Amino acid sequence: MTSLSKAEKSYIQSSLLSDPPLRLDGRSLEDYRPIALETGVVPLANGSAKVCIGRPGRGGYVQEAGGVGGGTEVVAGVKLEVAGVGDGEGGGKVACTVSCSPAAYPSLSSNALDDLQSDLTILLESVLSHPSLRPNNLVIVPGKKAWAVKLDAVVFADGGNVVDCLMLACRAALWDTKVPLTKWVEYRAPRRHAAQGDVGMDVDVDEEAGGGFETKGESRATDFELTDYWDEGEVLSGRESWPVCVTLNVLSNIHFLDAKLQEEASVPLRMYVMYAFPRGKPILQTFRLIGPEVSTIDQLRGLIKRAESYARNTWTGLEAKLKDEEARRGVKAREKFYGRLG
Amino acid sequence: MAQNPFDRRRINGPEESFLPVFEPGQERPTTWNARCGRQSTDIRQIFLQPGLISQANGSAYIETEKTKLACAVYGPRQSKSTTYSEKGKLNIEVKFAPFSCTRRRYPLHDAEDRSLAVAIHQSIASSVRLELFPKSTIDVFITIIENDGIEGCVASGAIAASTALADAGIEMFGLVTSCSAAVRGDDIRLDPTEEETNTSDGVVVVACMPALSSITNVWQSGRITAEVTLRCMEMCQDRCIDIHSVIAHSLSSMNKAP
Repeated sequence: MTSLSKAEKSYIQSSLLSDPPLRLDGRSLEDYRPIALETGVVPLANGSAKVCIGRPGRGGYVQEAGGVGGGTEVVAGVKLEVAGVGDGEGGGKVACTVSCSPAAYPSLSSNALDDLQSDLTILLESVLSHPSLRPNNLVIVPGKKAWAVKLDAVVFADGGNVVDCLMLACRAALWDTKVPLTKWVEYRAPRRHAAQGDVGMDVDVDEEAGGGFETKGESRATDFELTDYWDEGEVLSGRESWPVCVTLNVLSNIHFLDAKLQEEASVPLRMYVMYAFPRGKPILQTFRLIGPEVSTIDQLRGLIKRAESYARNTWTGLEAKLKDEEARRGVKAREKFYGRLG
Repeated sequence: MAQNPFDRRRINGPEESFLPVFEPGQERPTTWNARCGRQSTDIRQIFLQPGLISQANGSAYIETEKTKLACAVYGPRQSKSTTYSEKGKLNIEVKFAPFSCTRRRYPLHDAEDRSLAVAIHQSIASSVRLELFPKSTIDVFITIIENDGIEGCVASGAIAASTALADAGIEMFGLVTSCSAAVRGDDIRLDPTEEETNTSDGVVVVACMPALSSITNVWQSGRITAEVTLRCMEMCQDRCIDIHSVIAHSLSSMNKAP
């Protein structure tokens, strides 16, 4: 994204390749910048998260030009919308959109910004909307209505490694998402009334959607109603299988993690490796090769293995943090509730 | 391209048209289980013809059963932008014909075009010696006439683009070949059809330069373990060597002809 002169590029490359390797901010090759995460930041969304990698820059971009500070900042929000289900579809789609704030990319023209947005959107969509990850508790009325998951991520600042940051934010937002509980509503003309000559239709509330699958009158359910307030509900099923991303920046025979913008601009090859660990078992969910360099199968084999251990670290850290956040927000909500009472 | 007299908002169809000739019989299976006439490591037969589009500097037409696409290369020609660039720019545009899929594609802008173009660009960009063409652009236009799975289009598109670049006489490090694979459980199938991709757990597309035994692109998505992915990559790479000889043969037989 940033344009670097040849001299700057070779300076960064030669210091990365020196022994011991040196990075702009003194990190080792496998270190991440500090990551800050908070869930529930958007009150109007069903699930949301904000992730910062690196120190949020004080007056960011002026410093960024000098190569000092400025982290990456992404907010992701999930909105659930009721959508009709077409013929032969399972229902419950996940749709992703990434928008990049022009403030994060002051040097890009609006066309280039559009291209970047669509590239990131396509990448995210191909990962998170894959049928193998579709949650199965999104159906409201079988065959008729389902929740459509709209995941929107906004990049507010880009200090490098935006894909990892996006995936962390999206994963946290999806983890945080609560699906409102619904009940089916069924219309039928009660026999008793009909005998009395009453032609009016009566509304009858059926069983809850979860328990309703075994009832034979599936097709009779026509509409639904919410049984709870929006902030209560159940979490998305299979939420532990959303993947995390590790971007490997490859420069000849070394690789490093969490590149800053200048480092990103000076490596010829990048790999997006996305792993999920449902029940501890590593699954490679997405792999992409980016950049004008070539690789070999032996190099890829080694790097995919290494990426697994990096991804597992990120995964455990994120999982612990998300559980913390859940507990913290539970306590906060309770205190607020009691505080109002008292 | 900006100065051509066509109205881009219309669909400029060909002047004459012919009834399609349908293959007799042979309904294709819609499940994973059956694969008629092919082993799981077999790929579909490739028909590759360079030089079909006469106005382009180089072109290629590729057909693998139900995937059909044409590729035209223009350039190297002067970049339109005024900024100096030390390296040449490789510009790839992919267009689906509105009738290329089972559902009609909206003829104008389509989001999938770009994702394909990005994938094909990644596959072939590292093979082209762009440092030889400062201040210039090489345009590659790919039209998908019939689509049988996006992965097949990415793979065939990369093969066609590489052949067309060779046909245009643009210097490259090596020919790029590409192959896709679909995985379900432990079962790996090379060059899957659209039905097979739809019922699979995940897909892998590999592009490589067999002459240099280097890999230019890997595009994997879906629920696959790392071991299976690597096995797919090895199998695809093996198959790419065969495809390489197909390209070489088609290019040399084209040059032999008077």
